Amino acid sequence: MCSACGYPAALGHWTEAGAATPHDRLRERFRRVQVLQKVLKGSGVTAHDGGVVPGIQVMSLSGAQTIVPDLEALWSEVEGYRGRPFDPLDLG
Amino acid sequence: MSEGRLRLTILGGFLGSGKTTWLRHQLHTGTYGHVHVIVNEAADAPVDDALLARADQMTLLAGACACCAGQDALIAALLDICNRRSGDRDPAARLEHIVLETSGLADPGAILLLIQAHPILARQIVVSGIVVVVDALNGADQLQHETLSRKQIEAADRLILTKTDATQTDEVARLRATLAALAPAAQQSGALFGSDANLPDYDAKAIMPYRLADASDTPITASQLDLGIDADWTAFTVWLSALLHARGDHIVRVKGVVRTPAGRLLVQTVRKSVQSPEILPESAKNVPTDNSIAVIGRGFTQEQLRASLVQFSA
Repeated sequence: MCSACGYPAALGHWTEAGAATPHDRLRERFRRVQVLQKVLKGSGVTAHDGGVVPGIQVMSLSGAQTIVPDLEALWSEVEGYRGRPFDPLDLG
Repeated sequence: MSEGRLRLTILGGFLGSGKTTWLRHQLHTGTYGHVHVIVNEAADAPVDDALLARADQMTLLAGACACCAGQDALIAALLDICNRRSGDRDPAARLEHIVLETSGLADPGAILLLIQAHPILARQIVVSGIVVVVDALNGADQLQHETLSRKQIEAADRLILTKTDATQTDEVARLRATLAALAPAAQQSGALFGSDANLPDYDAKAIMPYRLADASDTPITASQLDLGIDADWTAFTVWLSALLHARGDHIVRVKGVVRTPAGRLLVQTVRKSVQSPEILPESAKNVPTDNSIAVIGRGFTQEQLRASLVQFSA
């Protein structure tokens, strides 16, 4: 619960359900950004997550930056920067 | 992640398919335990509520379909049930289950999305299944002419075929093959007046499914993806979230169990929306279906999916 507004904390995003302990959560974040950096190579967008600030940083080649809370928001942002969605099947 | 949350079963099916009859028998046999039934009828003059007198508690939403015009009424009813439940201090009397009987014109997938998108209901309710009743006598005809009937089937976890005694065996078999093509992951069973009934077997290769309402579409295919013994949950979620973002409109369903450090997670999606993964009990034996994911949709092949997933997890 947020102590300022009293509203219950947001339900975790489904992609974060695989980690139950703080250690696993941090490990998962690093793994997530590692996978993102690999698949986004050459797409004109990069991702960064140092594990300190919540969220994932997304950057375009022109220097625009956003911090997104989860993967769902990340793919929308990536689509916004590129002008078309990132289709994972193009990598196959 | 279902701990403490109320389970909701969505019961759908076309007009006159036998939803109320089936539900009435389930209430009689106590399948759902301590249950609250919500009946939605698109018509202003309801009759179904009179037939379901067996339910512990019942709410009737008449006059509008809960997947579209009647959304607000459905949300208000669910919030009310959740409120009363959280005030209930006696754990034995606590409500365990809600069954929502939709109107025959509702798309169960839309109701699921509605609940998941609601900030309070998403924390209080977990949709534990979508049961769709199909009338064996008229189902084939509905599938050929009504796109809605097809949407209902695509959203189902479980399909119940009714009125099989009034239908030729070969027609039931052909309907089963058609349903299997639309919803390959849904479990099919038969029911006569609510009690279980046997369904005829069929040979998928020998039977030609019915031509469907918008048959010009590319057909739906079911692909099975093996994530390996050491499934990489993180890589899988990066891949699946990207896939749903890019191709969500063409993905009917994704379903499977993945082993993660947090436990065995049941992953399910309906169209673009992912249900919050449920932690399944650990089993002593190695379950062969673990770490295997079914992806059902159109416009891609199993090989494309596999090749793409490898790029993420390698």
